[in-house]
Amino acid sequence: MTSQFVENMLQALAAGILAGAIYGLMCVGLGLIFGVMRVINFAQGDFMMLGMYAAYYLFLSFGIQALFGNVIGPYVAILLATPLLFLFGYFIHKFLISRVTGQRTVQLEGEGHFAQLILTLGVALVLQNGGLIVFGSVLASIRTPLSSSAWELGPFWGDYVSIFVNKSRGIAALFSVVAMVGLWLLIARTRLGKALRASADNPVAATYMGINIDRSYRIAFGLGAAVTAMAGGLLATNYPFHPYIGIEYVIVMYAGVVLGGMGSITGAFWGGMTIGLVQQLSTLVLPTQLQNAAIFVVFLLIIFLRPQGFFGRMVERT
Amino acid sequence: MLALDGVCAGYSVVPVLKDVSLEVKAGQFVAIVGPNGAGKTTLFKTISGIVRPSAGKITFEGRDLTSVLPSERPHLGIAHVPEGRQVFPSLSVMENLEMGAFTEAGQRAFKRNLDLIFALMPVLADRRGQFAGTLSGGEQQMVAIGRGIASAPKLLMLDEPSMGLAPAIADFIFEKLIEIRQQTNLTILLVEQRVAEALESADHGYVLEAGRVVLDGSNATLRADDRVRQAYLGM
Amino acid sequence: MQTLRSLGPILLAAAIYAAITLVVTNSYYQLTLTLVLVWAIFGLSWNILSGYTGLVSFGHAAFFGLGAYATALGQIYFDLSPWVLIPISVVIGGLAGVLIGLPTFRLRGHYFALAMLAYPLALLYVFEWLGYQELTLPIKRETPFAYMQFSDPRMYTMVALVMLLVVVLITRAVERSRFGMALLAIKQNEAAAEAAGINTLYWKLCSIALSGAIAGAVGAFYAVVLLVVTPPSVFGMLVSAQALTVSMFGGIGTVWGPLIGAAVLIPVSEVLHAELGAKIPGIQGVIFGLAIMAVILMAPEGVYWKVRDWWRKRHAPAPAITPTLPEHVVPFSPAPARQRRPVTGPVLLSVKGLSKSFGGLKAVQDVSFDVHEGMILGIIGPNGAGKTTLFNLLNGFLKPDAGEVMLDGKNMVGRRPHELCVAGVGRTFQVMRPFPRMSVRDNVRVGAYVRAASEEEAQRLADDAVARAGLSSVAHKVAAELTTKELRLMELARALAGKPRLLLLDETLAGLGHGEADEVVAVVQRLAREGVTIVIIEHTMQAMVRLVDHFLVLDHGAVLVDGEPEEVTRNPRVIEAYLGKKWGAAHARA
Repeated sequence: MTSQFVENMLQALAAGILAGAIYGLMCVGLGLIFGVMRVINFAQGDFMMLGMYAAYYLFLSFGIQALFGNVIGPYVAILLATPLLFLFGYFIHKFLISRVTGQRTVQLEGEGHFAQLILTLGVALVLQNGGLIVFGSVLASIRTPLSSSAWELGPFWGDYVSIFVNKSRGIAALFSVVAMVGLWLLIARTRLGKALRASADNPVAATYMGINIDRSYRIAFGLGAAVTAMAGGLLATNYPFHPYIGIEYVIVMYAGVVLGGMGSITGAFWGGMTIGLVQQLSTLVLPTQLQNAAIFVVFLLIIFLRPQGFFGRMVERT
Repeated sequence: MLALDGVCAGYSVVPVLKDVSLEVKAGQFVAIVGPNGAGKTTLFKTISGIVRPSAGKITFEGRDLTSVLPSERPHLGIAHVPEGRQVFPSLSVMENLEMGAFTEAGQRAFKRNLDLIFALMPVLADRRGQFAGTLSGGEQQMVAIGRGIASAPKLLMLDEPSMGLAPAIADFIFEKLIEIRQQTNLTILLVEQRVAEALESADHGYVLEAGRVVLDGSNATLRADDRVRQAYLGM
Repeated sequence: MQTLRSLGPILLAAAIYAAITLVVTNSYYQLTLTLVLVWAIFGLSWNILSGYTGLVSFGHAAFFGLGAYATALGQIYFDLSPWVLIPISVVIGGLAGVLIGLPTFRLRGHYFALAMLAYPLALLYVFEWLGYQELTLPIKRETPFAYMQFSDPRMYTMVALVMLLVVVLITRAVERSRFGMALLAIKQNEAAAEAAGINTLYWKLCSIALSGAIAGAVGAFYAVVLLVVTPPSVFGMLVSAQALTVSMFGGIGTVWGPLIGAAVLIPVSEVLHAELGAKIPGIQGVIFGLAIMAVILMAPEGVYWKVRDWWRKRHAPAPAITPTLPEHVVPFSPAPARQRRPVTGPVLLSVKGLSKSFGGLKAVQDVSFDVHEGMILGIIGPNGAGKTTLFNLLNGFLKPDAGEVMLDGKNMVGRRPHELCVAGVGRTFQVMRPFPRMSVRDNVRVGAYVRAASEEEAQRLADDAVARAGLSSVAHKVAAELTTKELRLMELARALAGKPRLLLLDETLAGLGHGEADEVVAVVQRLAREGVTIVIIEHTMQAMVRLVDHFLVLDHGAVLVDGEPEEVTRNPRVIEAYLGKKWGAAHARA
């Protein structure tokens, strides 16, 4: 075993963990929406795209760059973009999605299925193409000086092996982990979080407790959009983006959520992390064009072998 | 306290309730009995607002419930313990009870109610950290009833609390209901297939058949009625 | 004759379309006319799988793209003509359907939909990796017709129109045959379909193979029309979405749906693209998306059904729907005397030591009993005693952990429900699942296919079953208009249509008033007299005591008592576990 191979391996591992943390956060957003409402949201990738552009414009056009500078500014912009996307998701649910899900359709098991799918498909089309009109097709990126510098870990193994961690990616990964922990605390500990879980577990019984499940769904949808958008913003500090970028990540998100056991928040995070690792480690053995095909193969394998996922606890819905 | 006047309701295909009128006075224990499929559960769902009435009026403490959202009704003091142990399986027992206390009244009185719940059903205290989905059928039913009490309701509606339970557990649940009644003086509306037990503990009863109230009266009147004796008590 | 007349509207629409085609000379508009048909065919292909079975496919681009690439590669490398390559694409699409279907049909609901999403996208990356980022079909100037390279663009539209008509005919044939009935039954309730003798896996595979074959053909044709194939343009998510969109917009589960959807959406998007695409890129996507959203909010099942339901409501003779006879409730009607028949016939069903656990819960434990030919066996017990689980073990929905189910002396354990139905076991369900838009006759016909060799025979069996259940007067009504009692009888008729020797009835009297219950009881009694052996689960003791010859009492999954009605209703253990102490006290006093 040469030191070169070990170095490549560790470098891919590090890259996988860094990408995986952001993917994890992205998946958590989708997992929240799917877990609470059992809604397959096609527009999730486009929510992420909106998060990217929201952070981009806040950073460039609203004085944040001037106020906070190029290093801290992007992260401030991301933090400000998140609540905007929460409101966006909240109202998308209130005015569109709620028409075909929730209290209204609680009695018709399975009937609202078709309608809800195509509705989010419509939303996705409008967002992608509307994005093209508003933002244009030119690649955009949030530049930070951090993305061109790196921390060096090591050298290990004498002087032969050292790993470079891109600073901006490292910070994005840390940011994701902190956001994930915060969200977990919100869901696990607070009254709101418990109400969301109760609505997910048994919507009818939750209504009997005085929980307005439509409101729970709106909040979950808003939170899901916000979390994915935050992940999008973090991604935007490292990669250029365009209005159609959502489609590229929808599969990553679904693969992560299914892998994590649909409906489990922490599971979704670990699912996203696994996808990041698979993607980066596959570069060691596969040509880069097949990176994404590898994700799909893993995705299909999971669905067939263990549809309840690997990380989530399967909870029987009554 | 609760009054239904000429209520009709049903699902998309078939009407279930046909012109049902009934009344529950404050402090009363009222039982609704009838065969499987008579519309008892639909009646409860109509009171909680999950099923919309197509005709008629439901009032609670004089207030018309028509425009009150289902999720607001518990806050008025209506607690619905649904049929078939509908707990929140992935929440712990304690979290289930907290969900019961989602109403303002329930939050204010949570400590006291929790003591009462644990005193009545000590097994729940032992299992407070366990996921409700892992409990036995009888224990889940106790969680459901405890959740109802935790909301500090004015009216406690119980839908077939004995359903699917072994007779001994069902008897235990009935005993607890009587104890709850004695200790809290709650108004209780009970739907039950076990006609004998239901009529024994209730003050007043309604017989529901094929979506209509076919008979009503005080406990004594019903139990003396030949038709009830023949059809339900097997006499 | 009737089929010809029912094809009238389609043929008329095709003729009008052909006339328009001949008039249009602008080649861009002509291309739009061709594409409308291409996406309509693709929508029809999606509809055959997802519209009829209810299993949503997000991945129809897999078949479409395989057809397109097969054609492009076939012409580039082997110099084959599309006339040959389109049929080859049909075969490839069909095979891909079977290969994808075999593993994927193990999944249900959201999981199926998501798994289907992955196939075309994985193929997309594979084809990119293979280096086929952009394939251009070679131009054949010398023999244009042999290579489907018409100089007159109207020819493409005409070829597409012929393809569409063929696909419509196939769809219509499917719709009216046992194939279509089987798919509809699967969509409504897969379990009930299995129990009615339908081999659900087989029909689902047929459906995805046919669907894939059509998609492959239209993908191939698409490559021929556009002459350029790229992975995103044939495997991309938007391609799958296109199939979904035109079908859902127009209406799911009908031939007309994809046609309406394509006829409205494709020209709108193409025209928008042409007029505004240069100035406002993406405008057609926005309008397209908004149109989809508007339709879903206003007509969630699609335009076709909305219009049809509205039309029916407007044109229905109002009094015909609600012949409101004064409904009289007969409470507490006296029980007619029961004629006990001796239980002496040969043993039809013999159950030995049957057990089944779910996790730690022993749902059925060591249950044994015999059912003799011609008898009515009643199964009673508290809720959760394992009665329905027992039925599920008897007709193959569940596999027992231990024990034997002997039918005519043959062990049936491990057989699938439709095989048990073929062997003569029919059943009804606690929760009714009618096919609401179908007539009573058609509902019942679904159950008849298991015994029928032809459509005519199926209809005869269905009519016979309808008559035996006493439903002849409502045979042409749509199921959605029936009363609870009629629905229960219809479910009974559906089971009867398969000519069962053993009928398992699960809470057939639930939800009925006493008068109505008596009518259903009379039907069951008549069936028993005609020689059908019956096992019935029921809670209404009054009805049971006068109906059954023998009781089996279950409690906690085990047999508590097995005996004659008089004996059982006096048994102290039964009284304690099921009838209640009060029953016991009353009988002690009596």
